[in-house]
Amino acid sequence: MHRRTFLKLAGIGSLSVAVGCTSDPDKKLYSLVHAPDDMVTGKATWYASTCRECPAGCGVVAKNREGRVIKLEGNPLHPINQGKLCMRGQAALQGFYNPDRLQKPLRKNEDGEWRAVPYREAIAVFREKLTDAAGGRARMMTEVVGTTTEQIMGELMAYVDSPPPLMFEPYAYEALKTANRITFGIDGLCSYHMEEADFLLCFGADFLETWLSPVEYARKFKQMHTVREGRKNLFVHVSPWQSVTAANADQWLPAAPGGETAVLLGCIREALGARNGGELPGGIGPALHDLSEAYTPERVAELSGLSIDAYRKMVRLLLNAKRPLVLGQGVGSAGDDALATNVAANLLNMILDPELKRFDFVHRHRVEAAARRSEVYDFFNGLKDSDASLLLLNNVNPLYALPPASAAAGVMAEKDLFVISFSSFMDETSAQADLIIPVLMPLERWGEYGGKTGLVSTLQPTTGRLFDAPELAQLLKVMTLPPENLPEKLPRIQSMVQNRLTEAGQIQGKQEWLRTVQHGGIFAADAKPAETAEEEKGSSISPSKDAETSLRNVFRNAGNRTAKNAGPVFIAAPSLRFFDGRGANRPWLCEYPDPLTKVAWQTPVLMHPDTLAENGIRQGDIVRVASEWGAVRAPAYAFYGMAPDVAVISAGQGHDGFGQYAGGKGANPFIILPYEPEPVSGAPSFLLSPVRVEKTRKQLPLAHTDGNKTQHGRKIALTVGLEELRQHDAHGHHEKHGFGMHEFPFTLPLPEGYDPHRDLYPPREYDYRWGMVVDLDRCVGCGACSVACYAENNLGIVGEERILEGREMSWLRIERYHKEDQMEKVTFFPMLCQHCDNAPCESVCPVYAPHHSPEGLNNQIYNRCIGTRYCSQNCPYKVRRFNWFTWQWPSPLNLQLNPDVTVRSKGVMEKCSFCVQRIKTAHDSAKNEKRRIYDGEIQPACVQTCPTDALTFGNLADKNSRVRRMTDDPRAYQVMGYLNTKTAVIYLKKVVQEV
Amino acid sequence: MSMNNRYVMGLFNDESLTVSALEALKSSPWPLHRVHGPYPSHKILHALNFRKSRVGYFTLAGGILGFLSGYALTTFASVQWGLVVSGKPVVSLLPFFVVGYEMTILFGVLGTVLGLLITTRIPDRKSIKLYDERCSGEHFGIIARCDPGKQEELAAFFREQGGEVQMFEDEETG
Amino acid sequence: MAKLTHAQIDNTVLATLSPPDRTYWLTVAGLFIGAFIGLCCWIYQIFVGIGVGGQNNPVAWGTYLINFVFWVGIAHSGTLISAILYLFRAGWRNPIARAAETMTVFAVMTAGLFPLIHLGRVWMVYFMIPYPNQRNLWPNFTSPLMFDVIAISTYLTVSALFWYTGMIPDLATIRDRSSGFRKKVYGVLSLGWTGQFEQWRHYIRGYLFFAALATPLVISVHSVVSWDFGLGIVPGWHSTIFAPYFVAGAIHSGLAMVLTLMIPLRKLFHYEELITMRVLESVAKTIILTGMIVGYSYITEVFIAWYSFNPVEQELFHWRMFGDYGLEFWIMFTCNVIVPLFLFFRKIRTSLPALMVISILVNVGMWFERFVIIVGSVAHDFIPHAWGLYAPSMIEYGIMFGTFCMFFFLFLLFVKHMPSVSMTEMKEALNSGDGDVHE
Repeated sequence: MHRRTFLKLAGIGSLSVAVGCTSDPDKKLYSLVHAPDDMVTGKATWYASTCRECPAGCGVVAKNREGRVIKLEGNPLHPINQGKLCMRGQAALQGFYNPDRLQKPLRKNEDGEWRAVPYREAIAVFREKLTDAAGGRARMMTEVVGTTTEQIMGELMAYVDSPPPLMFEPYAYEALKTANRITFGIDGLCSYHMEEADFLLCFGADFLETWLSPVEYARKFKQMHTVREGRKNLFVHVSPWQSVTAANADQWLPAAPGGETAVLLGCIREALGARNGGELPGGIGPALHDLSEAYTPERVAELSGLSIDAYRKMVRLLLNAKRPLVLGQGVGSAGDDALATNVAANLLNMILDPELKRFDFVHRHRVEAAARRSEVYDFFNGLKDSDASLLLLNNVNPLYALPPASAAAGVMAEKDLFVISFSSFMDETSAQADLIIPVLMPLERWGEYGGKTGLVSTLQPTTGRLFDAPELAQLLKVMTLPPENLPEKLPRIQSMVQNRLTEAGQIQGKQEWLRTVQHGGIFAADAKPAETAEEEKGSSISPSKDAETSLRNVFRNAGNRTAKNAGPVFIAAPSLRFFDGRGANRPWLCEYPDPLTKVAWQTPVLMHPDTLAENGIRQGDIVRVASEWGAVRAPAYAFYGMAPDVAVISAGQGHDGFGQYAGGKGANPFIILPYEPEPVSGAPSFLLSPVRVEKTRKQLPLAHTDGNKTQHGRKIALTVGLEELRQHDAHGHHEKHGFGMHEFPFTLPLPEGYDPHRDLYPPREYDYRWGMVVDLDRCVGCGACSVACYAENNLGIVGEERILEGREMSWLRIERYHKEDQMEKVTFFPMLCQHCDNAPCESVCPVYAPHHSPEGLNNQIYNRCIGTRYCSQNCPYKVRRFNWFTWQWPSPLNLQLNPDVTVRSKGVMEKCSFCVQRIKTAHDSAKNEKRRIYDGEIQPACVQTCPTDALTFGNLADKNSRVRRMTDDPRAYQVMGYLNTKTAVIYLKKVVQEV
Repeated sequence: MSMNNRYVMGLFNDESLTVSALEALKSSPWPLHRVHGPYPSHKILHALNFRKSRVGYFTLAGGILGFLSGYALTTFASVQWGLVVSGKPVVSLLPFFVVGYEMTILFGVLGTVLGLLITTRIPDRKSIKLYDERCSGEHFGIIARCDPGKQEELAAFFREQGGEVQMFEDEETG
Repeated sequence: MAKLTHAQIDNTVLATLSPPDRTYWLTVAGLFIGAFIGLCCWIYQIFVGIGVGGQNNPVAWGTYLINFVFWVGIAHSGTLISAILYLFRAGWRNPIARAAETMTVFAVMTAGLFPLIHLGRVWMVYFMIPYPNQRNLWPNFTSPLMFDVIAISTYLTVSALFWYTGMIPDLATIRDRSSGFRKKVYGVLSLGWTGQFEQWRHYIRGYLFFAALATPLVISVHSVVSWDFGLGIVPGWHSTIFAPYFVAGAIHSGLAMVLTLMIPLRKLFHYEELITMRVLESVAKTIILTGMIVGYSYITEVFIAWYSFNPVEQELFHWRMFGDYGLEFWIMFTCNVIVPLFLFFRKIRTSLPALMVISILVNVGMWFERFVIIVGSVAHDFIPHAWGLYAPSMIEYGIMFGTFCMFFFLFLLFVKHMPSVSMTEMKEALNSGDGDVHE
């Protein structure tokens, strides 16, 4: 048979198969007749903007290819996140490209059915209802927005002389705000110079997950908490359960819920003793004395359940610390005593460091603008008995976030109240509205949002528009203008922002405005804007007038809660993945398994294995957690980082509606929470006791991606004690010799790594030899890298049942290992293709699909792969992923796909490529400029986004490159090195210290 | 040989009879044409004392050719792109041995088959004409040649050797 | 028992070629439908994706490769019996050699299907064929899978040729005993063989070389198959014992399958006089031997794991015996090692039902051996976080069922239309005295 005929036949064969595939990649090419100046086909353009996935307000730069945004990266100039991004930030794209995003305004008719209406009509209705509502009959509830938008909203409400808009955030840090008011006289959320502390004591604030500004604090935390010339600062975490933050502590002390206050008061007592009184401002010293007097170590231990000597040790360390910093409760485990805990924490800081050097009262977190929960409740109660006729909702979902006992649902159901939701999704709240007007999402609009006071951070369109939605701020602005004579050119938000900044004297002229937009904000003025200058420097930092009384009142029954704890305690924890639930419809966030449980797509209820055993519950049994307000069903998960009798469900899932990825998945813990806010701070309680925990007959197989919790003493995720390390430093570690798992020497994937005694085949010379160094001591397990990888490399989303079958596609996974003898000690371990020099996967492939590149990469040629899956079987690290099916990207999600990366179809193997597309780009530019590639010029997606700089990428062949120098670290080792694979991913042992 | 020969087959249902008949035939004027049999009786083979079969040379040639072509193929294939896998040199003779080995056997067998086809001259349409179906059952058939008109004597000879006789009238065969 | 005559041999064997009855055709049709079901499952898998099977990460190899190794194993005893025992002049081989070779040929065909079924993109399978092409892309001959391609195709070619060569004289016999259309057909098939001694002398020589080449082939082919695992780095695979271990296992399963096929055949075709109890006994005895070799390998594996002091190996083998797949492991051990020991008892050895049951049990056991090796190793290898379990899906069972049907379908067609016992060899044995197939 001729070759051509043979190929023809084969072609026919594959065609007939291709017919079966549902999604052939789109083969059409469009040529732009009039391309914008800044668009060169095949070349990315970057736009600076601001992330609006949570109130922290990180700066982003959006990668735009052929008019569509395909990737978000942190803005290196931005002071808050300094170029890094968390997984929620990465997933903002999937909000923008979400297949469930509403494309047209929807109006609900009499019998409650939705009807798509054109924007003109929808806006007309809006205007009409607004005019009806004139005379104070309109209300508005919004998420926390930037100053400009806030002003415009204010204007609109003033226009119909109604109360100003109410900013609703489920996590509004009421307790912390109030504590700051009582102790510092500042009713706001100051930020912290965590990086300057040498001892960090934390009572539940989950600053690595959701608390205030996670990316910022993750960075600052690791600046403080890394090993430097043989020393490492301490981090002790006291909380009822182990969040990711607590898992990163040197010592996590499980405290009975509510016991934190007792511990703090105990510390205060000791501190006052040590500082003999210590003159506290506002004369609260004496008050504190008799308040804390009762909290002897014994009593503290009894109240909190801490072991007494652990507590004593902790106190000693605290008092010996030069620059201690104490953080109170986050919303994570905040109960009624959250206020007490935070007040106590502040006071303790005051005692330990009267100047409060590590507090920043100037750059306060923007989220402080959010209303207290009590005000939110009043807002709805007010609506009930007011004559309000119009309710405007901007991107808030109270019906999901508020306990069912709140008036919200009832109010919105009322006939005479017309509810307009400016949401892009049919979430619980929009579903109850009468009119939904989808507006532009942050990635495609102008605006401004300063995550901290005095910080200007701008938004600009980073992508072509998907649908012709209006810009909310502009729409509201127009509403305040008389309809009969609208100006020719409608007011533009960018100019409003520009004007505001010019008036504030922060920019002069167009040039500066342009620079501001290009940089994504004004960061030179990071210092501080003029007007807040004088209320700086401790002068005004003094306890509020009524401090003493409020203290007595706050601490009235501090710690006693634990005593009256009858039965299990339930905690609704904020979620690293979904925040307060707004991320629940982002496939990446659902697909990425929770860092601690490694469960994806589902919401398990975490309980201590012993507690489970006592109640005869097995992991996977569906458990019914019931309170007097409601009940939630979720599968049990045995988790060691728990105080006894505590059940934790993290928030975010359990939506009805919202979208195909969120609807009906998981459980919503909010629905069993109590209604009454804490009287003083008006904070809701996310902790509740007692609850009934009953085993049901049903079971749910957990979609977890981990095969085992421990590493069976293998050379995988290694830790080293600080002492041991000091000895190491004396004499390096490379002198090992032997063939055993732990004796095998450290063998770089370079000629140096070869030795005739071990190696049958000769080494290869490299010009560039790409490699990565993973510093386990810096990895906090936040998973941003993994999600960034999903975004950059077009990884398929497989869904819950496929994960149950063990078919997740993550190229980079964070393995979570518990210590065999202390299961509450956790090590996070990023695992990706090791790009071995002697890669076991390569030689077994019959068709050369995986092979070694001249730069040491382990290439995988998709269109050569025939799917024998031998490579995956033979990979000791099991990092290869097979396309069991052709994965789907429901439109318009497919528009996010990275054009530089092949979209794999069924039947081929894939794996981490070290972002080879980025390496190629670097090669091109280097070639054009006739130079070599700089060290650090190439940043794979994971390296780029890591908030704690745990990952470093570079050329191992270059003796002076950063990666190469890091391999000299005595902590350096290779996973399962004894297989003599000569991995190019070098790990640095995690440094642990016993407290 | 001349075209006007006649052939007579004597059929014996026993090895020893056949052998004695062969011996007798030698001392008789009639030249032996050939012997048929249902299985390779060693006694008869011995009586006919053949030269050693040359099939083996085909086998050997095939084997050597196979081994060489095995290595040739693998080496050629791997130098085409020179891709490095698992740190092995592009031409790594050790693994290639397996291919060489299998090819040796494959070509060796093909050589044998070829040898058999050549030496035994099958497929063969002609000799079926001078054949008796009993020869594939339990009889051995000795075919001797004689001049026209002498068939009866020859037949008689076979009969007294204790066999049945099959006459072939057709001249064209040989 | 009366002395066997050539005529008896011919008549008994030729009797089996008499026109079959309805039940035969019904069975054949049934098996065909079964095979067709398997085909449908495969087509479905091609269109939807390999994910319709149960494989996952880490266990990316499932029943497809289990069955591949299983059938290749079955295929081995055929050539063993016809070639190795031929060289050893073990007379008891003669009556079963033909059927065993047939089994071999069909088993290799079945086995050959599975790598194709297993491929993620079977429509790209031609990438594995070393053909000249514009891209100058050739297969990677350092890959054990390429070894397989070469070895298995060689094995199929050789065993088929061996089988056919051995059959030519018998085909001639049938030709001479039949008439009309059948005569023509067998005439063509027998290549005009007339059993001249001029031919015989070459024939026996050639046959000898065949046997001499087939013998190392048998050993090498299953060694190569074993290297699919032995050359892997995975704990439980990466072991030098694999080649002999697999060869022994292959013969073990093959002999068992011979019994499974022969005992019914003997009954249906009244072969009692050809395939005497002594023949079956000899097979049974060989099974004891192979069973012990296999058992020895099992124990050695575990011992080495303990002795190597490699925590990964140790953990793996402990898990194999007492972990999630413990049941499979013990099924394997019992069926392959314990059960054959019963054949030490003459009573059992000589009772057909017992033999039948044991042979089937051994087959089951050998299937599970492949399961334990293939699935049980990768499911639990170096990185605990990546551990995972595997269970076959309905599609996989469907395909498996289909291929079994296909095998028996082919075998059934053969025995009714071709001589299932070599008449020539029987006759030869009858006279040359060796073999003594009759008491």
